[in-house]
Amino acid sequence: MKPLYAIPLVSLLTVSHIQAIAQSDSLKMRELDEVVVTATRTEKMVSALPMPVTVVSQKQIQQMGSLRLNEVLQEQTGLAIVNNHGQGLQVQGFNPEYTLILIDGEPLIGRTAGTLELSRVAVANIKQIEIVKGPSSSLYGSEALAGVVNIITETPTANRAVFSTRYGTNRTLDLTSNLQWKTERTSASLFMNRYSTAGYDFTPETFGQTVEPFHNYTLQSKAEHRFSDALRLSLSGRYFTEKQSDNFNVGSVQMPNLVSGEGSIKDLNFNPILHFKTSGSLSGRVSLYHSRYRTDASSRYLSDGSLFEESFFNQTFLRPETQLIWLFSSKHNTTFGTGMVQESVEATRYTKRQQFHTVYAFAQHEWLPTEKWHIIAGGRFDSHSVYGAQFSPKLSAQYQLTPKIALRASAGVGFKAPDFRQLYLNFVNTAAGYSVFGTEEVSRMIRELQAQGQIGEVFFNPEVAGSLRAERSLSWNFGGKWNASERTLFNINFFRNDIRDLIESQVFARRINGQNIFSYRNLSRVFTQGIEIDGSQQLSDNICLSAGYQLLFTGDKSVIERIDNGEIFRRDPVTLLTSRLSRSDYGGLFGRSRHMANAKIFYENKAKGWTANLRAIYRGRYGLGDRNGNLVLDDPSEYVKGFVTVNVAVSKTFLRERLRLQAGADNLFNFTNMQAIPNMPGRLLWTSLHFQLYSAN
Amino acid sequence: MKNFAMLLSSAMLALALTSCKEDNVTPVQPVVTETVRDLPADPVRIDPATGRPLGGTNRFTLYSLRENRIVANSDSATNKWDIGLRGTTLIVNGGAIRSGQGGAFIFTGLFDELKEIPATATFRTDQSPSDLAIPNASGQGWYNYNSQTHLITPIPGRVIVLRTGDGKFAKVEILSYYKGAPAAPTSTSESRHYTFRFSFQPDGSRKF
Repeated sequence: MKPLYAIPLVSLLTVSHIQAIAQSDSLKMRELDEVVVTATRTEKMVSALPMPVTVVSQKQIQQMGSLRLNEVLQEQTGLAIVNNHGQGLQVQGFNPEYTLILIDGEPLIGRTAGTLELSRVAVANIKQIEIVKGPSSSLYGSEALAGVVNIITETPTANRAVFSTRYGTNRTLDLTSNLQWKTERTSASLFMNRYSTAGYDFTPETFGQTVEPFHNYTLQSKAEHRFSDALRLSLSGRYFTEKQSDNFNVGSVQMPNLVSGEGSIKDLNFNPILHFKTSGSLSGRVSLYHSRYRTDASSRYLSDGSLFEESFFNQTFLRPETQLIWLFSSKHNTTFGTGMVQESVEATRYTKRQQFHTVYAFAQHEWLPTEKWHIIAGGRFDSHSVYGAQFSPKLSAQYQLTPKIALRASAGVGFKAPDFRQLYLNFVNTAAGYSVFGTEEVSRMIRELQAQGQIGEVFFNPEVAGSLRAERSLSWNFGGKWNASERTLFNINFFRNDIRDLIESQVFARRINGQNIFSYRNLSRVFTQGIEIDGSQQLSDNICLSAGYQLLFTGDKSVIERIDNGEIFRRDPVTLLTSRLSRSDYGGLFGRSRHMANAKIFYENKAKGWTANLRAIYRGRYGLGDRNGNLVLDDPSEYVKGFVTVNVAVSKTFLRERLRLQAGADNLFNFTNMQAIPNMPGRLLWTSLHFQLYSAN
Repeated sequence: MKNFAMLLSSAMLALALTSCKEDNVTPVQPVVTETVRDLPADPVRIDPATGRPLGGTNRFTLYSLRENRIVANSDSATNKWDIGLRGTTLIVNGGAIRSGQGGAFIFTGLFDELKEIPATATFRTDQSPSDLAIPNASGQGWYNYNSQTHLITPIPGRVIVLRTGDGKFAKVEILSYYKGAPAAPTSTSESRHYTFRFSFQPDGSRKF
């Protein structure tokens, strides 16, 4: 018998067959044998993978009643949603810019200050979300240091039409329709979603809401035609647009000077893919992914209607790619890939349209020496037009110790290329007075200002700094899983990430008016390490319990060195006395919780059509920002208190599952922290109605 | 241990005998540490009628450490003052644009640890309004500016070592930039009010 994972390119039929099996299971929060594609870029059973992978199924998302990607991810073990110019994802203690977000294997673009806003992604048409933790640059290149989140959209399995609507607190309305059509050789789907909310306001006494009203539309379509068993063409496209109003006071409370405006986001992806298979052992795909992301904002003074600010940001991404899979034997197979990325940015804060391109190639070999061993070795080479070349290798192995216990380990290198902002930004803040220039701009700007006699002092010669290097990480993951019984599953993973050459802003020069000129340099070395544990227990055919926990330690290595040298101090805010900081005072990097945990209970009664669940999510205290002037996290006042949110949902189906009514409460106990977490609304009550029509074919 | 105690006591005896011989030496006074609270440094004035900010005077508050008091701006071209404060800008009374013999450098460490200024220390002076002895930039001189909270916080463990207008030595530690030195200043706290402590050595030595 061939091992399960020896069929890398599973045909459509096989996939639907596996789905059918998975769906017929009464209730499982974590399927033991889900097929995922993200970890190896080929279809694999989760149980066979030598790296930590989490899968969130459509069924689970439906039972939770989630609408947007951030709502789903914040409930998963080891993941935190952090807010910095949008809601982004923290994985293994990494900032959001170090995790790649993919839809059907292709990257979403449009990051503001590094954060990809997760609420841009609607989840009603998702088959599953795959989360790979640990470095994945060996397959995906830049930005995959912490991991990869891949959103797999549904492929039609029958003719089906689904309509749903949901209404809740803050006049939040979601309207969805999902149409699917399938014949023997051809399938197509059309997903439409409108989401709108009136927002909310923690400070009604001031002008402008905490979250202003916004509405957005998502249109997504996928079509596929199978010419023969050897040739298949698929086309997928997605369009997202959002509009949000913007109101604020640039004057004082006594003398208000009100500004009002509107911002818009447009995001477009298009991807044709040709899948092929030779009669021999070779198969593969060719794709041409194209994405555009554009934001526009303009605001005017309410007093006289004159323009306050107008800005735009326009990013494009084009990627042709080829991937080949060669099955040598049941014990050996290799995946090859090569491609090119052409990127450009044009924006208010850039002198001109900036472009760069990357050429890359990757290879991965899978070896199954015995039934107990599974070894994957791979690497990727990226050559970038601005900052040079990167090689990112990775090695992973799994060993089946007993039929119930598997051990796994992986080590890999990840990298993140300097982004457009770090290279080309040309920004003068006239209100606060400072300037920020990308590294490719800064020498020219300082020279120009020097010629004009504008430079007072140069602290750091940009010619000496040279070009930015990519940020790099070396990561280790060790762990195992224990299928204690058919109903009990435990997972444990230890991780350690050492990141060097982190890019940070630094003062390069000062103008004669005393204002600073910033640019970027490869400065910091940081680490994150910890343990992630999760387990699930099927209590009965109807009830499943699960729990997860992550322990996390982080730190800036240069800060630790300076503490050891006695160069960092703290001042007591009351006595004003200064003392030396010790290692035990140091709280690590800001925004990281030492402890995070979740506990969930899911109930399902298939016969009667009921589901119910209760999920509690704990986020331990984390550093918000420096308050005592030493720029490091040490004082208790610098932390945000830990908190628990509890979410519940109940649903009942009628008319042979054609109609489903659902109601729920997110943040049931109305936890808010308006100072530190303004993006977190209070209790959200909601109710929804789903109606589906289908015909078996 | 015993030997050490013997040695110590004989050394002290010798010291006492030496002191006895020279009667004309005045005993060295320990340098006192003074704390100055809420020294205004050109604060933003608010027009009580309109509530609008009127802006500052753009003048430095000049301070004499020897006298522990403010020096009139009419004396700016003398060596009577040692440090001047206006907003976050600190000036010393020495250099191309000053009249005194002053200078300064930033020492990293605890205020009490600085017992003697090393002979190798280099004092910087005010060469131009943009080239000051004490750099007026976040993280470069005495303070850090937080762009999220817009607060100025004195960097703990930074001591301004000062050569005064008349060439004596002093050390200064800035403790707060806000009126009343609140434990948790906010954006509504009244800025440009310095609380600092200093030691002034009147005998011209570099010891504190």
